[in-house]
Amino acid sequence: MSKSSKQKDKPKVKRLNAETLVALAAETLKSEIVPGLAPERRHAAAMIANALDIARREITTTDEGPLWALLDQVYDDGDGTPQQLATDIRTGRISETTHPGLGARLRNVLIAELKVKNPRFLRSRGLKI
Amino acid sequence: MSDALEPKSPRVRTFDASKWDTLAAWLSQSLGARVEIIAASLLGGGAVQENWRIDVLVADGPRAGSHAWVLRTDGAQRLSVSIDRDAEFAVIAAAAIAGVPVASPIARCTDETVIGRPFLIQVFVGGISAARQLARHPDLARFGDELAHDLGRALAKIHAITPTGGQLPSLPIPMLAPAKAEVARVRAPLASASQSRPALEYALSWLDANAPQSRDIALVHGDFRTGNYLFDGTRLAAILDWELAHWGDRHEDIGWICARCWRAGNDEPHQEAGGVGSRRAFYDGYNEIAAAKINEAVIPYWEVMAAAKWAVLAILQGDRFLVGGEAAIELALTGLMTAEMEFDALEGIAAIEAARIAK
Repeated sequence: MSKSSKQKDKPKVKRLNAETLVALAAETLKSEIVPGLAPERRHAAAMIANALDIARREITTTDEGPLWALLDQVYDDGDGTPQQLATDIRTGRISETTHPGLGARLRNVLIAELKVKNPRFLRSRGLKI
Repeated sequence: MSDALEPKSPRVRTFDASKWDTLAAWLSQSLGARVEIIAASLLGGGAVQENWRIDVLVADGPRAGSHAWVLRTDGAQRLSVSIDRDAEFAVIAAAAIAGVPVASPIARCTDETVIGRPFLIQVFVGGISAARQLARHPDLARFGDELAHDLGRALAKIHAITPTGGQLPSLPIPMLAPAKAEVARVRAPLASASQSRPALEYALSWLDANAPQSRDIALVHGDFRTGNYLFDGTRLAAILDWELAHWGDRHEDIGWICARCWRAGNDEPHQEAGGVGSRRAFYDGYNEIAAAKINEAVIPYWEVMAAAKWAVLAILQGDRFLVGGEAAIELALTGLMTAEMEFDALEGIAAIEAARIAK
């Protein structure tokens, strides 16, 4: 047996990094702790599991690409910030009139954010992710 | 370590057993009868305020006997958009007179030396209020439309209360068209919020530019949704949580309870009213009682308003953790929900604009 085929047969070893540990903590909470909890404590446990799931996705996924792409499109000098954009939209300096498709691009920013924060919500809105 | 991860002060309850005696003494003086507290237990729900059931024995006077009451107080912090407990007491009393099912008010206290916070005492009303429990109830198909119909009737009675005659003088009367005034009211707390949200500003700008011109003003509950009423198994028992009440456009409440974000995850098209019953049943109940029928054409606008307002409230809840230092996981998670409501707001705007183009 060649060295390379030996490597192929090896089981995939997980790395004990932040993602793995947070995922393991969430799984242990759900499988070993939640079933033994009194019903009135389960809501708190479910919230903890949810927080861990969000943290795990945040470790592995970047959600800011569409936001920075939008800022680059709107601000030529490349130094736009979400705060600046929010202010400019509020004052009317930037709008659907000045930047057609602004609403659709903001929607893409939210989709990227929600892929991390709540992908189930996006599925409930009919998005295939 | 980021600011968000620094240790926060623990969540402190306002009311506990050490305050029973001072509360009993205050109640005795306030009601003119000897009041003894027999038991107290924290009720679920209410990220903003604390609700305690208190079982009391009144020794004499017109209320003599055993009673179950609710003590409602603020949590460690109150949202900046909430009215104070005095104003809330007056609103509930006005609603009771108008025939709205409420937990009858007993007493109010603004003296913070009694239990540490202002509070209201109301009659305890039993029933289910938990939104998800109602929206997933195994018998919902049997009672949902009737409940939606009763909710419509109750809401019409609330909206029959108007500022004419100087009612509820502590609530400010909007000088602008109420829809524009509501945009301003919803926007105001963002000035000091921790986050700047371009999508939310986009939705608010659209709401301002497209505000209905109606200037009719009625008492708006402000948080009329599943989760804020009690259902006792057969009927609507009480409308709760009046702290966001204000003078405004009555369609605001209708858009709020019908908005997708307030259906407790129930996306059934025949249960769009609060995730419990059909829109038709709800509208019919309302129109049976109301002096003016619902203007259905403006409801999509008010559903966008609902999503935008809920997004702002979510930011404020998150800031109670991020800025205010309240270490409560539900506050942090609520703050993270902002993008969901923004998404619904943008979808609503896109649908309204598409319908306009199609006309």
